[in-house]
Formats: sequence, structure tokens, C-alpha cells
Amino acid sequence: MKENFSGRSRFVNYLVPLCLFAASWPVGRTGGALYALGALILAGLSFFLFRHLVHQINQAEQRSCELDEQLIQSQKLAAIGELSSGIAHEINNPLAIIGQEVEWLRHLFETSTLQEEKDRGEFSDSLKQISSQVDRCRDITHKLLNFARKMDPVMQAVELNRLIDDMAALVEKEAKLNNINIIREFQKDLPLVTSDPPFLRQVILNLLNNATYAIEANGTITISTKDNKDGRVEIAVADTGRGIPKEHLKKIFDPFFTTKPPGKGTGLGLSICHGIIQRVGGTISVISQLDRGTTFTIRLPIAP
Amino acid sequence: MSSYKPKVLVVDDEARFRETLIKLLNTKLIEATGAESGMEAIEKITENKYDVILLDVRMPGMTGIEALAKIKKIDPLLEVIILTGHASVDTAIEIMKHGGCEYLLKPCPVDELTARIDAAYERKVTRTKVKAKTP
Ligand SMILES: Nc1ncnc2c1ncn2[C@@H]1O[C@H](COP(=O)(O)OP(=O)(O)OP(=O)(O)O)[C@@H](O)[C@H]1O
Ligand SMILES: [Mg+2]
Repeated sequence: MKENFSGRSRFVNYLVPLCLFAASWPVGRTGGALYALGALILAGLSFFLFRHLVHQINQAEQRSCELDEQLIQSQKLAAIGELSSGIAHEINNPLAIIGQEVEWLRHLFETSTLQEEKDRGEFSDSLKQISSQVDRCRDITHKLLNFARKMDPVMQAVELNRLIDDMAALVEKEAKLNNINIIREFQKDLPLVTSDPPFLRQVILNLLNNATYAIEANGTITISTKDNKDGRVEIAVADTGRGIPKEHLKKIFDPFFTTKPPGKGTGLGLSICHGIIQRVGGTISVISQLDRGTTFTIRLPIAP
Repeated sequence: MSSYKPKVLVVDDEARFRETLIKLLNTKLIEATGAESGMEAIEKITENKYDVILLDVRMPGMTGIEALAKIKKIDPLLEVIILTGHASVDTAIEIMKHGGCEYLLKPCPVDELTARIDAAYERKVTRTKVKAKTP
């Protein structure tokens, strides 16, 4: 914006000497003064006309700036609206269950002495439900807060292969139990990347968790890294899992989109990944084939 | 009327929500059963008689809105109460389009729900009578 503005005023600076030059152009001896006067008036007029135009363009630009600002603001509001209705939904469901369990406990209290085995069983069952629904709410709010707290990435040099290897080791044990192999295809001399390690760890972990969930049992996850030689490095997490149906592909990065049964997934994993990768200046994309598998690809700038 | 229990179908994909609500409604002299999806709800409605449907919006497979349209086609006199955790205005508008149903936000105390179900049941009885009188 600033660049444009100074560009135009420089144009005005050229115009003034140009007009003066035109006005002082020799037009012969006879009537020269008259011509010179006419040219001067013309030059003056066009100068003011031009200045007026520039002024109008500037004003229009300012207006469009304000419009941009308004647009961003309304987009933000829309995003907040969407997010809060998502949060409301995800929290209201466990709350509804908690409320009902409390009412059921009250009913048990009023109608029985809680001496019988069956009543005691129902009583403790309700208590268990309440506590597990509280866990579910906590999972959502903690994930959101975790994400909200760390708004700005703290950039430092990262050895990507090692960071990824650490995360792979973290999920490997449990994956092995389900006969899921994690294969590492790391490029050896990968350049150091300037990025935010805790952020990246979270992204890799989310992708690995999704991959193991998609495979369930018996399959492989291949994590590869490579230098794209264009100032970017590429991380790919490929699984041999169930794949993503076409109609879901455009929704998977939306907050709260999940195909897991109620209470089992927040649907925040990929939207957090997307947000993080954007903040560290990278991109994340996905290709998937139903019943074959899914590959998530992250491209990160080597220097931000 | 006093001996008759309104028949209610609770459509929600959360098993525990469904089960406890059914137990609670049964203590309030309402005959409640459950369905875990829009598909199952439609099957049950075609096979059995219900008075009031409690319908969740966000469910895998068929959404509550889609189910609502189909339910109204099968039995226009059926009272539908949307019971959802989702507060979106768009959804509410979408529901209004299909007409003749209430919109309640979760969590909703069972007493309030029971009152709404009773009111919906009475509406249904009146509408059925009116329909029977008009030739
Ligand atoms: N590797 C994958 N293979 C198949 N489907 C996937 C894969 N990764 C994500 N998905 C789909 O995208 C949805 C959203 O994923 P996301 O990580 O955002 O949430 P989630 O895994 O459902 O919940 P949470 O991350 O809280 O456990 C998943 O429910 C699943 O349907
Ligand atoms: Mg996930």
C-alpha cells in the first residue's frame, strides 16, 4: 500500500518540471508570448486535474482499505461464530448427559434405599458416566486452550528428522501391538529448518494418531522427509488405512469435523495441524484413496 | 387421556444420552424408545405409531434435517421436537422451513422436556381431530 502511494507522488514530481518545460518551449517570435501563456494555462490545468485525480484515487484506496479491514473483521466474527457454535455443540452434548445422569441419581435416591445390588450398580454406573463426560469436556477445552495460548511461534533451528523420529518412537509401541509398522524414509542431509519445534511435534503426533486410527490393525505408516530444493522441505505421512471419502475431503480440516463415534474424537486434530502449519509459513495437503490409504504432505520453508 | 401414555421416539447417536433419557421419560409416564440414526428412526416410524419424535441434528449418515424432511413426508401429523447441542442460526432456519416443529437446546432439564412433549402430544391430538372433521 505504501509502495503504491509513494510511486504515484513520484509521478507528480516528474509532471511539474515537464509542464514548466512545455511552457518554456520556444514557439517562434510572433505571438510567442500568447502561445506561451496558453501552454502555461493548459499545463497548469492538467497539473491540477492530475492532482485532483491522484487525490481521488488515494481516497478510493483508503476507502477500500477500510473495506478490507471491515471484511477481515467480519470474517473474524464469522469464524468466531462458527467456532463457538462448534464448541457449544461439543460441550452441550456431554453436559446433557451429565444433567440426565444427575436426574437419574436423584430418581434413584428418591425411589430406592440403594440396598439392592441393581440400584447400587446403576448408581455407580451414573457416577462413572459423569466423570467420563467431564473428561470429554476437558479434552476439548484443553486442546482449544493449548492452541490459543501459543499464538506466536517461537522460531529456532530444527533437526526435522530427529524431531519426527522422536514422535514416531512415541506411537510405535502401541502401533506394534496392532501390527502397524512405522517406516522411516528420511533424507540424510536434510537442511536445518527454522521453525517451532513444539508446534511441529504436535502436528506430527496428530497425523500419526490419525494414521494409526485409520489403519486400526495390520498396516504401515511411512514417514518421509526430503529437500525440495526450492527453499522448502517436505514431510509426508502415508498410511495404508481406510482412506477418506471424497465428500469428506474438503471438511477434514474444519474444526470439530470427525467421523469418530461421539465422545471418541474432538475433530480438532487436523484443524489444529492446519492452523499451526499456516503459522509457521508452510502448507499442508492431503491425497487419499478409499480403502487404500491416505498421505498428508507438509511443506515447510527452510527459513521463514 | 389419563391412561394413555404418549409414545416418544428418541433419535440420537449418543447411546448413553438416549438410554438415560428413555429411562427418565419412562418414569414420567411417557413411553419412550430409541433410534441411533435417521435411517433407524424412519424404519421405526414406518413400522410403529409414535406421537412425538425427539430428534438430534448432528448425526453421522443422515442428518436430523434430512430425517425431518422424510419423517414429515411419512406422517405429517407427527410432532417433532429438535433437541440439539447445536446453536446455529442456519440450522434453526433450515428447520423452520420444514415447519411444525420445536427447537430445544441441549442440555434441557427433563421436566421441561416432559412439558414440551405433553404440549406437543396435545397439539397432535387436536390436529388429528381437526383433520378427521374436515372432509
Ligand atoms: N489418515 C487418515 N485416514 C483416514 N481418515 C482420516 C485420516 N486423518 C483424518 N481423517 C478423517 O478426518 C477426520 C478429522 O480428523 P481430526 O484429526 O481433525 O479429528 P479426529 O481424529 O476425528 O479427532 P481427534 O483428533 O480429537 O482424535 C477424522 O475423524 C477422519 O474421518
Ligand atoms: Mg485426530
